[in-house]
Amino acid sequence: MTGATCFLPRADLDRLFAALRADDRTILGPAVSDGAVIYDEVASPAELPTGWESDTEPGSYRLRETGSSRAFDYVLPVTSWKRYTHPAFVPLTRARRDGSQVEVEAVLDPPPRLAFVGVRACEIAALDIQERAMRAGPIGDADHAGRRDAALVVAMECAAATSTCFCTSMGTGPEVRQGADLIASELDEGFVIRSGSATGAAMLAGLDLEPADPAQVERAAAQVAAVRTRIGDPVAVEGLPERLRAALDSPRWEQVAERCLACANCTLVCPTCFCTSVGVASDLDGQEATTERHWDSCFSLGFGRVAGDANFRPKVKDRYRQWLTHKFSTWFDQFGSSGCVGCGRCVAWCPVGIDVREELAAIAPVEGPRGPIPWPPAPDAGHAPAALTVVAPARHVTTSVVAVTQETADTATLRLATSDAALLAARPGQFVMVELPAFAAPPISISGIRPDGLDLTIRSAGPATAAIVALGPGAQVALRGPLGRGWPLESAAGRDVVIVAGGVGLAPLRPVIEAVLADRARYGAVRLYLGARTPGDRLFAAEVAALAGRSDLEVAEIVDRAGPEWLGQVGIVTHLFDHATWNGDRVTAFVCGPERMMQATAAALTGRGVDPAAIWLTLERNMACGVGTCGHCQLGPFFVCRDGPVFSIAELGTAFGREGL
Amino acid sequence: MTTHDVMALLQGTWFAADLGPRALGHLAALGRFEEIPAGTVVVREGLRCDSLGVVISGRIALRLAVPGSPDRTILTVHDGDVFGWSAVLPRPVATSTGVAVVPSSAITFDGPALRAGLAADCELASALFERLLVSVSRRLIATRVQLLDLYQAGAAPW
Ligand SMILES: Cc1cc2nc3c(=O)[nH]c(=O)nc-3n(C[C@H](O)[C@H](O)[C@H](O)COP(=O)(O)OP(=O)(O)OC[C@H]3O[C@@H](n4cnc5c(N)ncnc54)[C@H](O)[C@@H]3O)c2cc1C
Ligand code: SF4
Ligand code: SF4
Ligand code: FES
Repeated sequence: MTGATCFLPRADLDRLFAALRADDRTILGPAVSDGAVIYDEVASPAELPTGWESDTEPGSYRLRETGSSRAFDYVLPVTSWKRYTHPAFVPLTRARRDGSQVEVEAVLDPPPRLAFVGVRACEIAALDIQERAMRAGPIGDADHAGRRDAALVVAMECAAATSTCFCTSMGTGPEVRQGADLIASELDEGFVIRSGSATGAAMLAGLDLEPADPAQVERAAAQVAAVRTRIGDPVAVEGLPERLRAALDSPRWEQVAERCLACANCTLVCPTCFCTSVGVASDLDGQEATTERHWDSCFSLGFGRVAGDANFRPKVKDRYRQWLTHKFSTWFDQFGSSGCVGCGRCVAWCPVGIDVREELAAIAPVEGPRGPIPWPPAPDAGHAPAALTVVAPARHVTTSVVAVTQETADTATLRLATSDAALLAARPGQFVMVELPAFAAPPISISGIRPDGLDLTIRSAGPATAAIVALGPGAQVALRGPLGRGWPLESAAGRDVVIVAGGVGLAPLRPVIEAVLADRARYGAVRLYLGARTPGDRLFAAEVAALAGRSDLEVAEIVDRAGPEWLGQVGIVTHLFDHATWNGDRVTAFVCGPERMMQATAAALTGRGVDPAAIWLTLERNMACGVGTCGHCQLGPFFVCRDGPVFSIAELGTAFGREGL
Repeated sequence: MTTHDVMALLQGTWFAADLGPRALGHLAALGRFEEIPAGTVVVREGLRCDSLGVVISGRIALRLAVPGSPDRTILTVHDGDVFGWSAVLPRPVATSTGVAVVPSSAITFDGPALRAGLAADCELASALFERLLVSVSRRLIATRVQLLDLYQAGAAPW
């Protein structure tokens, strides 16, 4: 798509602006504001930062007036283009509650037609990287995709570099090779410019420019070549993902955490960081509510929090490790590239001057080990999507509560009626996001799949779940799903099945039991081991009693503690089978419960000879989106929502149960 | 019941299944088969523990007295598990109360006789103490896990 290289005299830059406006676009570009260059709406070339250069160092950014006639010598603004493709606030849903009636609809505003002027090579790479993450599916982010598709990119090759740049190492710059509609280089007298897309070619043709002089083209090339030389190759990237994976226990994490303020500046200025949370706003009586997606960061304390104040990354060192290993290692597993483009913003804007290049060299030195790696190199969870997903707005299906069964003091099963084909096609182990106006939607496993609806078994653990379990027959609730990868029942065909559940963990296993019994001849021996805290915390008590009466499966129950009235077994759930005589190599196991209970169970099962690839469990993580776009549920290379929540022990490797991951 | 019958019963449990024939013979000679009707208290917390038992069938609940509330069952033991393990200690004091919650049976060993037998037979002692340690460590792990209160709100995600 690259046509002839033309010359745009400086005085004619406003003709390019006029052409962009004629294409019905708002023009965004660099502008000086409060002592820094930022991206903003620029009405004319006069608003560009002509005669300004920037100097950045770890923890420092300074603008310097040079008196030069050039407008694009500032290297990089503070903010990145993600402000426009992945804005800090995006409305998600509008919900109404009228008595027991509930309606939730997705909000998808038409994307603005924008022109980005002055996009650097590293920033084009960043736009691409973030877009891949947002379209990696299965559902993707419709807002992001729409905005990215509607933006026109006018690239400006770098003529200067600062001490924090390392695009050369990351392979993203400084030369612009693709991904832009127009590609320009600034010379004193004007711009050498060529097209990079059909849209760009048409625009260039409309400007009717003279071809550039070969000497000008040469000067532009020499200019960017000098930038490359100036930057050098400061980060040794060869083998970096492997070296970092092998360094999860480096003492340096602790040391850097002593300096790190966990302020999240680095992730906010980073052009590829995409993590978000969902905020809820409602009127006072909760009848009208909206939800909004907003930027969040893996550095926030609450980012890995789950119900009951448990937190998967409580320490700053856990969060710094998540950030660095995600950017430079697990991003490859997830999206097939590095998550860093080498723009250096995180280095300059870190208030204590932590330099990612220095940390990488210390944590994962070139001569450092590249193994053993904590998780298998090619998990069969389907990472690194080959094709980008076509995205549509989320679907929220209103369902009605037809019955409520109080299972225990704080847990109830809601039977929901729906005729929605996608929900009815849910597989055992999948989950839904349960949306009640004015509450953040919690992820809830499907505990029953029937021809006319679904069951959800919910423990009241906080505001949203309390409101949901309080619903009575006739009330409505909206569901988004089914989501995630369910239990691989087919892998258990012809084998013995062991099901181990702890507490509410029986909920996602109930559809497995139902499916196995519905096709009983397909499986060998079936054994069900159920643990609960006390006799009063046992779920589905009547159903379990009926199962125990059957001759085609074994059922054993145990509780953690009990009064003298309980004559059943007391102890931990693994006591039910640690002296059993069955043969582990014929077993496929399905396990769900609190994470420590699953760790103990997995150890006891492997100890009995069950293959780690045949031990499946479902993980709990903080989840906001459920589809791999908010970043909350990450565990090493996995998005628990999208790649799980069901995983085998073999897939997880030592990522399972590792503190702070 | 003959020593041979006791041997056969012991051999059917995980506890004694892989004991060597000589040690098994010696152990069986020290043991006695007992039917334990439901409700029988086999050891009592804080009192002298006179015998060690290996459960053959049924279920023995191990309970702790909790001041001001009913006893709490902390563990149940089943075939192959032991109760009254403090009987092998120099100061044999029971750490919990053992109650048969269903009709049960066990091979029991008189404490002083067992201790004398172990003192005289190093091979049996090393095999038996190893199995007792497995049994006690299993309980220790269970207690620690129970202390974490896995299923409680706060520790358990859901
Ligand atoms: C895949 C999956 C399946 C689940 N299935 C069930 C189930 O079948 N039954 C059941 O009772 N519980 C289940 N949970 C746990 C349930 O999602 C939480 O108890 C619930 O989110 C708590 O929300 P809350 O607002 O009531 O409580 P709070 O503790 O006040 O939640 C606080 C905030 O944390 C956020 N959050 C996000 N993800 C989670 C999370 N996983 N846990 C806690 N907080 C979270 C929420 O946005 C919420 O606003 C499941 C969790 C996951 C990840
Ligand atoms: S990690 Fe730092 S250098 Fe890399 S893209 Fe993000 S802000 Fe730029
Ligand atoms: S989890 Fe990854 S994408 Fe999200 S804020 Fe952290 S480093 Fe950025
Ligand atoms: S990425 Fe949002 S919940 Fe998994």
